[in-house]
This record gives sequence, C-alpha cells and structure tokens, in this order.
Amino acid sequence: MLGFAETGDAVVVADLEAGIGTLTRLEPAAVDVTVVVVEPTLRSIDVGRRAVSVAESQRQGRVVLVANKVDDEQDRARITEAFGARPLVVVPADPAVDAADRFGVSPVDHEPSAPAVAAVEVLADMLADMLGADPPVR
Amino acid sequence: MADLAPMIRIAFVGKGGAGKSTVAGTFARLLARRGEPVLALDSDPMPGMPYSLGVAVDDHPIPEDVVVAGGEGRPRWVLRPGLDAAAMVDRYAAQCPDGVRYLQFGNLWGPVVRLQQAQFAWSQVVAELDTQQWHLVGDLPGGTRQAMFGWAKYADTVCLVVEPTVKSLHTAARLASLPRAQWGPRSLIVVVNKARDAADADRVAARLGVEPSAVAPHDPAVLRGDRRGAPPLDTAPDGPFAQAVSVLVDRVVSLYSQPKETAQPEESAQSGEAAQREEAAR
Repeated sequence: MLGFAETGDAVVVADLEAGIGTLTRLEPAAVDVTVVVVEPTLRSIDVGRRAVSVAESQRQGRVVLVANKVDDEQDRARITEAFGARPLVVVPADPAVDAADRFGVSPVDHEPSAPAVAAVEVLADMLADMLGADPPVR
Repeated sequence: MADLAPMIRIAFVGKGGAGKSTVAGTFARLLARRGEPVLALDSDPMPGMPYSLGVAVDDHPIPEDVVVAGGEGRPRWVLRPGLDAAAMVDRYAAQCPDGVRYLQFGNLWGPVVRLQQAQFAWSQVVAELDTQQWHLVGDLPGGTRQAMFGWAKYADTVCLVVEPTVKSLHTAARLASLPRAQWGPRSLIVVVNKARDAADADRVAARLGVEPSAVAPHDPAVLRGDRRGAPPLDTAPDGPFAQAVSVLVDRVVSLYSQPKETAQPEESAQSGEAAQREEAAR
C-alpha cells in the first residue's frame, strides 16, 4: 500500500511493527525515507543495524537515525559508533514522555515544550528540508 | 522442588518494551539455580533473551540443513530423518549461565526464507520435546500476533508482563483472552514491570481483573545494565528486580504444586497447528 497509494501532496507517516519483519516485506522503494529509531541499548542497536541494512538493500529511500531515550554523551557515542556518519537526531530521555505514556496522551499535548518534543521538531524540519530540497524520484 | 511434577511450561507475552525477555531470562536462571533442568525457548526473530540469560553471542541459528521438504499433507519443512527433538536440543541449544539451555530460531537478517526453515524446525522440536525432561520457559515477540497464532501453545501457563502505561495495558487486555483459545493455556498470571508506586500495580489489577503475581519496581540498575547488554542477575543480583522475579518463581512453582482444573476451551483466537504454520510461512 505504501508503494502504490495515491497520496497526492500529503505526507504519509507509517509506524511499522517493532523489529524488522514488516520492513523485510515492503515492496522495494516503497518509501522516501526510513527513520530507524534506536535506544542506546545493545539489543536495540543490533536491531537498528539490521533495519538499516534491510532499508538500504531494499532501496527504502534515505535512512535517518533517531537516537531515543539518550541520557548522556556516553549513550550518544554508543549509537554514533555503531552507525557511523549518518543523519542523526538525538531525542533525550524525558520524564515528560514517560508521564504522557502512563496517561495515554500524546507528548505534544501533555507537555509541548518538553525537550523530547523539541527534538522531534528538529527531526520534522530535517525531513522537510531533505525532501523539499531534493524530492525523491521513483 | 526436586519432585515437582508436572514440569513448568510457561511463556512470557506482552507489549514490546514491557520487559518480557528480561523477566523470562531471569526467571529461567533463577529456576535453574534451584537445581532444575530449564530449557529457554525463544520465538522472537529479534531475540532479547540472550541478554537477560547472559549468553555471550545472541545469534544461535538453527541451520537450514536440518530440515527437508515435508511433502504432501505434512508441514512445508520437517526435521531430517534421524534428527529428533532431543538431538536438536543437544546440538543447537546454547549453554547459558546457571545451566539453562537456550533454543532460538536464529536472528532475522534480510531474506526470511532461511528463518522460515529454522522456524519449522524449532516448532517441530518444541512439539516433540519430552516434557518430563525440561521446564520450558518461553519468550514471544512483543504484541499479540504470535501469541494469538498459537506460538505459545507448548505452555500451560502464560505470564503477561505489563508496564503501567496505557499502551502496554491495552495489549495486555487483548492477550488476557488467551486462556479462552481452543489451544490456550490453563492459567494466566500477570507481572507488573517498571512499577513506580503501589498505585501502578492496582491500576493493572483493575484493568485486567487479575492480581499480579509479582511487581517489579522501576530499577535503574537494570536499565543501566540493559544499555551494556548485561543481565540483571549479573548487574544487580540482589536488586529489587531480581527479588521480584524470585517471588514470581516461588509463585509459579507453587502453582504447579497444586492440582489443576481442566481447561474450558472456547474459540477466541485462531487455533491449531495450521495457524502457526501459516504464520511461520508469512
């Protein structure tokens, strides 16, 4: 569906199942950008590396990394070392997101000025710039 | 404990990130420390159990050459003639700390065909295991799909691991219907993980209608270990998380010491081996 739907000018944001099962089943070149979200844990980094490998081999657009729940510079370094020089957005560990999760509300509604929300705005800007400056051609 | 009968057959399910693998691996090791033979079963193609078990390498693939085409009327792939469940465990189940053995498909890298062959092999091994030889401690991928497709049917107890978040509770509420499946487990227990206060456990109990068998508090030491891929039993062996899982082991052992009622099956999820094979073939 991602590859064939007529979406016009609309931006489609798809949240895939955890892991890489759905990613392996996507048609090649079905999306313009694959955002790989990793936590600074060994396991999450391992899954993220597999996701990057599948996305690149299946030509799923540009690959952007999001380092989520980052506590400190050590966390950040753990991720940059694993993935090398790729576009990266760092989302800090943020109690506001934890609280929103417990209440079942969007972090944007719960605390719009939270650091994690600001970081996701950076991601949105990066994607808009990336695709606006160089629209994908399939 | 030595005369425990029948053997424990438990599977851990829940939403991704709730801590299933961490609880399951720790449970397996603590049970093994009581001198019991424990086989840990992982049906997650992105397995987390190796980290909580403390296995050095997380990828222990079942090689594709253990299976041959099943032929008409049989599963797509079956174990090669001469290979049986005991031999498969002997050859391919990893040795873990505290004597736990660990059987997984192998990790998913790229094409899924090889993984499917390993999945069929794994399923046959689990179906044909001598259930008097091993306590089975299984870990499923996050979410409802594998559980609803019958991947936990080797278990007669399902343990729902729940974080006190709305999303985790939502998934848990769906999984709570598993005992009503035709192949479903005879009992369902609940563990609250990453609890911040007593109200968290109350909230889970109220939503699911089940009193938690154990409540593991938010434990920063476990989270720090998680970053390095270190198991809780090595990073915080006496910490609140390990203590909570120890309580869980006590509860489950006690559950198996009591006579069980016969299950009253109802249809609520897709049933039978056909469903599991269909899922494996996807």
